Amino acid sequence: MRWGTPVTLLAAALLPSALPDAFLLHLMTSVAIAAILALGLQFLLGVSGQLSLGQAAFYGVGAYGSALMTGAGLPFAAAVPLAAVFAGLSSLVLIPVTRLRGPYLAVATLGFSIIAYLVIKNEEWLTGGSLGLMGISRPALFGERLRDPAHVYWLCAALAALVYLGLRRLADSRFGRAAHAIRQDEDAARASGLRVTLIKSQCFVISAAVSGLAGALFAHHIRYLGPADFSFWKSVEVLIMVVIGGVGSAAGAILGAAVVVLLPEWLRAVGDYRLLVFGGAVVGLMLFGSGGLAGLPGALRRRPEARP
Amino acid sequence: MSGAALLEVAVGGIAIGCVYSLLALGYSMIIRASGIIHFAQGEVMMIGSMCGLSALWLAPALHPALVLLAGMAAGGVLAGAMELLVYRTLRRRRVPLMNIITATVGLSILLMNAARLGWGSEPLRYPDLFSGAVEIGQLRISPQLLWIAGTGFAIMIALQLFLSKTRPGLAMQAIAQDPDAAQLIGINLSRSMAGTFAVAGAMAGAAGVMLGSLFFSFFEMGFITGLKAFVAATLGGLGSIGGAMLGGILFGLIETFGAVFVSSAYKDAIGMLLLIAILLVLPQGLAGLRKRGR
Repeated sequence: MRWGTPVTLLAAALLPSALPDAFLLHLMTSVAIAAILALGLQFLLGVSGQLSLGQAAFYGVGAYGSALMTGAGLPFAAAVPLAAVFAGLSSLVLIPVTRLRGPYLAVATLGFSIIAYLVIKNEEWLTGGSLGLMGISRPALFGERLRDPAHVYWLCAALAALVYLGLRRLADSRFGRAAHAIRQDEDAARASGLRVTLIKSQCFVISAAVSGLAGALFAHHIRYLGPADFSFWKSVEVLIMVVIGGVGSAAGAILGAAVVVLLPEWLRAVGDYRLLVFGGAVVGLMLFGSGGLAGLPGALRRRPEARP
Repeated sequence: MSGAALLEVAVGGIAIGCVYSLLALGYSMIIRASGIIHFAQGEVMMIGSMCGLSALWLAPALHPALVLLAGMAAGGVLAGAMELLVYRTLRRRRVPLMNIITATVGLSILLMNAARLGWGSEPLRYPDLFSGAVEIGQLRISPQLLWIAGTGFAIMIALQLFLSKTRPGLAMQAIAQDPDAAQLIGINLSRSMAGTFAVAGAMAGAAGVMLGSLFFSFFEMGFITGLKAFVAATLGGLGSIGGAMLGGILFGLIETFGAVFVSSAYKDAIGMLLLIAILLVLPQGLAGLRKRGR
């Protein structure tokens, strides 16, 4: 596993030279953005054990925030981090909810996500309503517009790698271990003197900010925003990414993001049966084992030993 | 707004509330027995609705009660089969609950798209099951609404009797309370669990026929309705049968009155805001009120 990260990073960096097709590169950029989104939920669910069904809301705050700020003249490099911070701040509204457990937290975040979707759809003066926002500026670095799809890809992939490494470090830190303890037994963690509510809220805000970053990148990658991308389906999609990859595995979240983005594209060949097969694939993957995709190698390795 | 019009809105709210209640009952029964948030519940409802409609296509003169029965049978068989084929296998492999819940989402996508292939992507109108209108003074109430409210209550009472008076019903209650103890006294866990899913599915199927006859049948109809019913179940307190009934009807009333008095564009948001507010005061939903009172 020590070699895994550098090799994957190298492969990801060399991908544009291996993929001559602009559309495929565009897809890989979408995978990188989806990976950031999945890493955000993976941190929340896998590390602190909180299930959020409202990631689409923070994704939307990041996307519209960055699109509106660059529209008002702010440079890309300032708007994207600001939008991520905004998304993190917007999750503060939900902080009182983090003391809820399990399905109750899930429903509360789901409710928030539906409210956010309705705001995006109905507040035309701000978000363009159902028509959406068009003509969002391209990503730019050091005053240079990134016109080459490979450059946009590199930017998003690099940010995804940074988020991956950052969240992994955070998960291994004192703070991350405290969150782990809460996930395993909230009452025991509280009894050991951990400030449970504070730590859970901090995880919530971090996850929202990461989702906001993904949203901001999405806005400048696709360059058009409509309410459909921020409906409850998006939250479900993120959850599928994390669970397919294996809850608790950051690398799995990236793999899951790749599957959820690429599989429906690849299945275009089967036309109308596309989503039917996708749904079946999700069920099938769940039947494979507890670790999701990240647990597959382990499951395959264990199997021969089990035989007498 | 006049009193008569107000009453009309209320009847509409109660009718749609009955649909939510029936679905919420299914969520509650399933979560209590197995811990699963059954996201495919809305799709089971949709399939029930489609099957009821297909029964009407085959036999246009079919009695409404039989249409309802067709929907219930379809929903019950479907949900029972899902438990036997998918969830039971997953449970036996000791898969984490999160994975089972994701499998329900997968099944939900699967069913939705299967229905789109089978019944098409256009909304399908139910023929009017009832004609004429009931007039009380100057008040005109659509017979559909009364039919839905009446049948909804009848089904809920029947369910309550089934769960509290019959052996299979009591077995379902027992496995929900303590699966190990229930098995020790000789209850077949597998069978009771499948029964729980089948009953929950039948409730959803009934809700589907009702909702279909009120508006129309549509392959995507289960999605948002299912979510709202889940919210209603949470409002009442997950796992509580009485709470689910109350939560559903309350949610229907809030949504209908909210649409009339506040804003129809934000009609879904009102219920959600209320939900978050209630959860903050009562983290266990309305069922927590009774526990606290004790």
